[in-house]
Amino acid sequence: MDATDNANRFSWAPFLWFTPAILILFLVTLYPTIFVIWLSFQKTKYYELVGFAGLANYVEVLSSSEFWDTTVISLTYVGGSLVGAITLGMASALVLNRAGVTGSALRVFILFPWTLSMSVVGSIWLWLLNPSFGPIPYVIQKLGIDPGLMLGDPGMALPLIIIVTAWWSFPYVMVMATAAMQSIPKELYEAVEIDGGGAFVKFRYVTLTEILPTLGSTALTLSIMYLTLMTLIIVMTGGGPLGSTTTLSFEAFRGTVQAVNIGPTAVVSIVVLLINVALGALYSRLTGRVTG
Amino acid sequence: MSNALSNRPTGQIPAILGSLVIGIIVLGPVLWAFATSFKTEVEAVAVPPTILPSSATLENYIKVFQDAAFLTDLWNSVAYSVGAVVIALIVGIPAGYAAARFSFKGKRTLMLVVLATSMVPGVALLVPTYYLLESVGLLNSGIVVTIILSARIIPQTVWFIANFVEAVPVEIEDSAMIDGASRFQIIWSLILPLIRPGIAAVATIGIVTTWNDYITVAVFAPEVAKRTLQVALVNQVFDAIGISWSYMMAFVMIASMPVILMFGFVQKWFISGLTAGAVKG
Repeated sequence: MDATDNANRFSWAPFLWFTPAILILFLVTLYPTIFVIWLSFQKTKYYELVGFAGLANYVEVLSSSEFWDTTVISLTYVGGSLVGAITLGMASALVLNRAGVTGSALRVFILFPWTLSMSVVGSIWLWLLNPSFGPIPYVIQKLGIDPGLMLGDPGMALPLIIIVTAWWSFPYVMVMATAAMQSIPKELYEAVEIDGGGAFVKFRYVTLTEILPTLGSTALTLSIMYLTLMTLIIVMTGGGPLGSTTTLSFEAFRGTVQAVNIGPTAVVSIVVLLINVALGALYSRLTGRVTG
Repeated sequence: MSNALSNRPTGQIPAILGSLVIGIIVLGPVLWAFATSFKTEVEAVAVPPTILPSSATLENYIKVFQDAAFLTDLWNSVAYSVGAVVIALIVGIPAGYAAARFSFKGKRTLMLVVLATSMVPGVALLVPTYYLLESVGLLNSGIVVTIILSARIIPQTVWFIANFVEAVPVEIEDSAMIDGASRFQIIWSLILPLIRPGIAAVATIGIVTTWNDYITVAVFAPEVAKRTLQVALVNQVFDAIGISWSYMMAFVMIASMPVILMFGFVQKWFISGLTAGAVKG
């Protein structure tokens, strides 16, 4: 590689710079991706391949009611967590923006839960929600309400996991929203003021309009994350009670470790993969990173 | 229309109160866990619960360090995450540099392939990877886990480094080249020092990501000698009979300490790394 290299002439040399990275990505990501597609067409018994299955695995998975229950739980989980995180994140960005020194001092600490691992977050909340000794059920009880089994209650487990997920991720929304708000030109607010617009007009037609692209890409990033998030569920409920917190990703995990029949698990994995790729493509389109 | 003027003094008090509520929501659960880690086992489960430990004890922390497997878990956590970030930088810096500085046929495709791999979720690869590793006898291999973890952070490393290098004026390199510096010398002693804050940002995000991983290690290297602090923690949760909450919260604090400290030191870079690319004019 020297300075006289002609950029327009085809040359193998630049590819050498990419070789190590591509080699690892091929072995760890690309090859297993191809392999899982192939696996989904195989008849399997535990981790043994016993012949070509055609579409049998797909038929088995797509015609089972469990799969569709799991899909609905996944969508509820992603949607619910998203609504919680965006609402809390936006609200806290607005509040902290107005709180002067207190706001900027607090902003330093606020991303903190985001750095914690899902196993840690799960353990902490498991303790807080523990029906025998946990402080949260204790407070609820003192308010005169029966807290019940908390995570052990099939009707409450998913909402509780959604709340914990929103708790963990809303600071991320806040950081993104704050960054976007700070790049809004002050003149826009001044223009609204001259026209006699109040706080609501400022929020609706300047703040919200200007940060909407950022909010959109943040929502997509989070959706991708929520869709594939399973550690929190493994720690807090293990998919139960009665399958009420079994998402598609959790199912793919359970299928891998229980390994009764990996063909159908491969199909579930491919479903997760497809949704993920669709969301990712939407994200690239929205942020225009690919054309950069 | 003195809206802006009259809003300020009255609007700030509720905003400050609101901020404090947000602060409690964010930090309250973690502080509670922190307080629990200093309580005795008896006090942790006392009714009504105490907020502060009546007499703070280090007994739980001592017990964690006395655990036979703890140092192995800690060492594995460090080795995997540092190893993964080092690999990601070693392969990511040349690729990112080439993407920023050379124009050649197929570059766009290469960069798209790198980006596409980041869209494949790790969960979708659990079954095929397990199958492949089992068939070649590479389960419970520390090196394999480190490489798998590095692949998770390589795409972002390559893309970020390409952006950082692009921001450095190419004229600096041209003049160094006239002085007879080699490409390697230019990258090593010119480019890398200039993009150091960027590298710190990707490295921090990379360490936090890999340190916090549970799934990869739990599925591909579940053996006690190969597991990390995260896996050890979850195993304790599963082992719920006779669980000691105060002990577990001490474990939680120790398992989180490295990322908390790193986050504290490079908070600004961390946030600039997070918001880079997502927020644009």
